[in-house]
Amino acid sequence: MISSQEIMALSVFVGVYALIMSERIHRTVAAMIGASLILILNIVPWEQVPKYLDLNTILLLAGMMTVVNIARDSGLFEYIAIKTARLSKGNPMKVLLLFPIITALVSAVLDNVTTVLLLTPMLIYITRQMDINPLPFLLAEVFASNIGGTATLIGDPPNIMIGSAAGLSFNKFLVNMAPIAFLDLFVTVGIIYLAYRGTIGSHKGRSEAIRLSIMSLRGEEAIKDRTLFRKSVVMITAIIVAFFFHDRLGLQPAVIALSGASLLLLWSGTSPEYALEKVEWATLFFFGGLFIVVGSLVETGAIDQLADWMLGYVHTEGEAVLLISWFSAFSSAVVDNIPFTATMIPLIKAMGGNLSTYPLWWALSLGACLGGNGTAIGASANVVVVGMAYREGIRITFGDFLKVGMLIMLATVGVGSALIWVRYVGL
Amino acid sequence: MVKFADLITRKFQNIAGNRYEEILKAYEEFFLTEEEMAIPDIASILMLLDRYASNIPDEVYETISSYPDAKLQLVYLVDESVCRLIRETLGENDVKKFKDREEGRANEILSKVRERLKELDIAWTEDVIFGDKSEYVEDTGQKYDMLIVSKHYGSETAKTHTVSPVVFRIVQHVGKPIVLY
Repeated sequence: MISSQEIMALSVFVGVYALIMSERIHRTVAAMIGASLILILNIVPWEQVPKYLDLNTILLLAGMMTVVNIARDSGLFEYIAIKTARLSKGNPMKVLLLFPIITALVSAVLDNVTTVLLLTPMLIYITRQMDINPLPFLLAEVFASNIGGTATLIGDPPNIMIGSAAGLSFNKFLVNMAPIAFLDLFVTVGIIYLAYRGTIGSHKGRSEAIRLSIMSLRGEEAIKDRTLFRKSVVMITAIIVAFFFHDRLGLQPAVIALSGASLLLLWSGTSPEYALEKVEWATLFFFGGLFIVVGSLVETGAIDQLADWMLGYVHTEGEAVLLISWFSAFSSAVVDNIPFTATMIPLIKAMGGNLSTYPLWWALSLGACLGGNGTAIGASANVVVVGMAYREGIRITFGDFLKVGMLIMLATVGVGSALIWVRYVGL
Repeated sequence: MVKFADLITRKFQNIAGNRYEEILKAYEEFFLTEEEMAIPDIASILMLLDRYASNIPDEVYETISSYPDAKLQLVYLVDESVCRLIRETLGENDVKKFKDREEGRANEILSKVRERLKELDIAWTEDVIFGDKSEYVEDTGQKYDMLIVSKHYGSETAKTHTVSPVVFRIVQHVGKPIVLY
């Protein structure tokens, strides 16, 4: 029997989802309106709000955003982009290999949107210099960004949410997800190469001139503030090292990120007004709103009912791993993986009475992060790269993206779910 | 197709905001413009050397080697006005001593350059000239398609300027591509 509160909670949830998908209004506004309705209707009582508002996720994101904003002013990320371009020496094959590797590495530490925003202008520039089809290179970059984000606790918002909800440490993510990401990265570059091998060619007659123009880029020129550059590198390295030990230190990842941000603010002397002004508050409020909207489904018991219904069909961890990874992948290819993950987390928790949830978290991480590769609107990084390409006069159609993206999604989720299966279910 | 473009544009704006413009602005400072991207045809290169050209970076040789068909002329210049000053104040003997010392220095620098050019299999001709460092380049530089010159060419001994005033004058008056190192 469905209660009136459940019907209201479900209606708000579906309405917010529909608004987020259509993007007719900003996703943050949609989430905030949904959260306001839930609170006005008292579906989630005010005193229960802290229970659903995942501060670990929100503050981890805020801390890392602050660090990135300070480091950005030093020219660190442009420096990385130039160094990558120079390493490629204008050789298209090297560009196809190096940019995805660097993108995946940066994405494993920073959020995917920031990574592609910072690296894509350089990629577009050098493909223009080389006068070759930019499509395979841009696609490889965006897929690599989503794959790199899968590797760590802090690489992609779904992982942050999963890590926080399930109490999974940075090292556990590394052990479980990084090997999958590593394999998937090379699978992806291989697929892109096979799909576009006819257009990834070098201009033999102009190769020297191309090499020269790319080698004329000087990484040192990108560094706007050498002192801040050094401090940013030291602090980001220290934060990453601290993440390795956060569980042994008994500290939440958010504490590491916030402490790193505070120390960098202190050490660099950057004005907090300036650094905090650039924090993506809209994204943080989006998360806050979503947590309350999804919390309403938990509060009313809708999630428990859905979990019970699912458990009627899923009897083993193996079945659950396959179902969750593939369901998450196909869903994340269509809807934003953040609200999707926010919904799946309480569902998996509710399944915990009958099944061991440990492998299910990895299945969710895999599907939610890599499913985004399926379509152009599957992940924020895809939208950003396609949007930047549009602005630069490069048309990537929905079909262009879909035909390679879906193949890569199937291959990478296939590889990942097979590894999780072998590890936790057995042959 | 139009709807997809609209959706992407809306989503892009919602996700990226004005961050893309800020990042592009940062990149603009060192991306080459369309004009700069066009690589000129280079058939002859004049590489100017003087006592300040002791550390020539590898990138300069890379640039030269990317024009294998271009004729390379090395010119080591000694400031003639210094000779005149010595002649007027100290006499002819000291001028000779100064010239001998400068020729020795020229040979030392030229031999280093020769060595690198040989390694890269680049042909060249060379000359040591006593003259006015900026006037020589303004007159002769016009005959070449590209000039290569150190930022300290024609500096005063203390090297107080990041780029010497003589180099500034050359850049302003010689309408040819100039590689500064």
